Amino acid sequence: MENKYNLKSPAVKRLMKEAAELRDPTEHYHAQPLEDNLFEWHFSVRGPPDSDFDGGVYHGRIVLPPEYPMKPPSIILLTPNGRFEVGKKICLSISGHHPETWQPSWSIRTALIAIIGFMPTKGEGAIGSLDYTPEERRALAKKSQDFCCETCGCSMRSALLALTPNSNPSAEDHKAKELAQQINFKAESSLSRQASESGGAESDPSVLTQGDTSTSAGQEAVERPLAEQAEESPAAGVDEHRTSSSSSSSSSSSGRPLSPRQRRSQQHREQGQRDGREPAASRPAFVPAARQPQDESHAGSAVLIVVLTLALAALIFRRIYLAHEYKFDYDL
Amino acid sequence: MAEEQQESSQGEMEGVNCLAYDEAIIAQQDRIQQEIANSNPLVSDRQDLSVLQREYAEDDTVYQLKIKDLYKKYSYIRKTRPDGNCFYRAFGFAHLESLLDDSKELQKFKAVAAKSKLDLVNEGFTEFTIEDFHNTFMDLIELCEKQPSLQELLNSFNDQNMSDYVVVYLRLLTSGYLQRENVFFQHFIEGGRSVKEFCQQEVEPMSKESDHIHIIALAQALNVSILVEYMDRGEGGTVNHHVFPEGGDPRIFLLYRPGHYDILYK
Repeated sequence: MENKYNLKSPAVKRLMKEAAELRDPTEHYHAQPLEDNLFEWHFSVRGPPDSDFDGGVYHGRIVLPPEYPMKPPSIILLTPNGRFEVGKKICLSISGHHPETWQPSWSIRTALIAIIGFMPTKGEGAIGSLDYTPEERRALAKKSQDFCCETCGCSMRSALLALTPNSNPSAEDHKAKELAQQINFKAESSLSRQASESGGAESDPSVLTQGDTSTSAGQEAVERPLAEQAEESPAAGVDEHRTSSSSSSSSSSSGRPLSPRQRRSQQHREQGQRDGREPAASRPAFVPAARQPQDESHAGSAVLIVVLTLALAALIFRRIYLAHEYKFDYDL
Repeated sequence: MAEEQQESSQGEMEGVNCLAYDEAIIAQQDRIQQEIANSNPLVSDRQDLSVLQREYAEDDTVYQLKIKDLYKKYSYIRKTRPDGNCFYRAFGFAHLESLLDDSKELQKFKAVAAKSKLDLVNEGFTEFTIEDFHNTFMDLIELCEKQPSLQELLNSFNDQNMSDYVVVYLRLLTSGYLQRENVFFQHFIEGGRSVKEFCQQEVEPMSKESDHIHIIALAQALNVSILVEYMDRGEGGTVNHHVFPEGGDPRIFLLYRPGHYDILYK
């Protein structure tokens, strides 16, 4: 790798240093550049122990811009996890979606710690965010250990150092949380405003999932997320920072990505059905957005009817006038 | 079935639009930055102060009067690119330029600069991430020791990589000083933020503009006195100035116009 890159480039110099610094996996994170590209890294992070992600090890890509560290890295998760969308750039103020708050003295390690710290926080419709239920996240956490990355050949079972009882994870966790809070700070203020504007349109998933559906639906949910994510709406999320200045916060409530189960429960509620065994696709779905065009076409046809009636009336009157050969008083 | 597909495609559209919107903004900001970059060097040549006169309409009496007032004290101006980093770049260049023919002061400054990294590391900054910036800063000071031509120093400051690294380091020094003296500076921070949060939002990220608080901190961190002439739409016909820190004997003169700093010369 040494010969391939211009060692005078500040980015190369810095990334070489970071690669050396992160060479050995820790208990909580590990990241290394791909063999053939110093500007693309793969990483693994352990889910925070006191969260729904406990026991999960998640894998992803980091793409570095040529201007690194003056410009931020982009972070993309590859393991389904229920908090961040798979294969999509994550929206943290530390990642590429918020270049204005990146600090050149931060590093890839900062980004990894921020990801860990960010996992238990709420998605709130931000770009690349998901709000799956705790059960779904726990199931995904268990499953995440089976993930093997084809690109870097990394298996999640051996990617990180094993957690040992006498190790002290709290210092790491503390660092991660502190960082996540600090990174979240700006988003928080604009979010609370957003929440008050959109008036809590998000329904509480734990209330909606009925007891008899939970076991089978839960298993289904584990199988489905990947496929569903690929074919269904990829989160009409709202970029937290930018839209606080513009006016589009209203789109966040209807377009928010729902987990498979949340989506299903919404359909249940809509139709009053309680069996919950059929796959979601076999029923007409809850379509809040499709109503609007319908309303518009109603209005359009009403106008059309009025216009046609008037035209018809005019023709009839003309016919009567002609038949009786009335003459108009005024000269034409 | 069909309806669900419709829903999903609509959701997709919204998602794509939102992302596209976001990226369009970033792209446009980049274009604007590029335009500014093409028309303004990071640090310009020294120009006669009369260039200022031409920047304002002849009947803009407020500014024309103030420019006349500036003439009483200064003869030249050196402009910096208005990219949000202008204070740091103006300060960095003006200070090193003033040290070119004062090797005694240069040695003192070198000692302060050399020690500054350790102070930052002791405060909790990660050594391996800040050392590239520090090294670049020291490289420039060492360049000045060799008594280069002014053009060489100017070239270094117009090299985007090198120049930005110096800006980063000056921002780190500012942040470090503010955090070290957080008890004092806390009183001047608006919006209920802690000094640390302020530094992370307003000092360390690139392109964040500087205010009094940044100037005081950097001046004290490097033990350098800075004079800033403030020229704005305020009535009165004269330009006010501030010396940071108060009572110092300034070697650097900066011209502030709302949102921007340039370098002044007597």
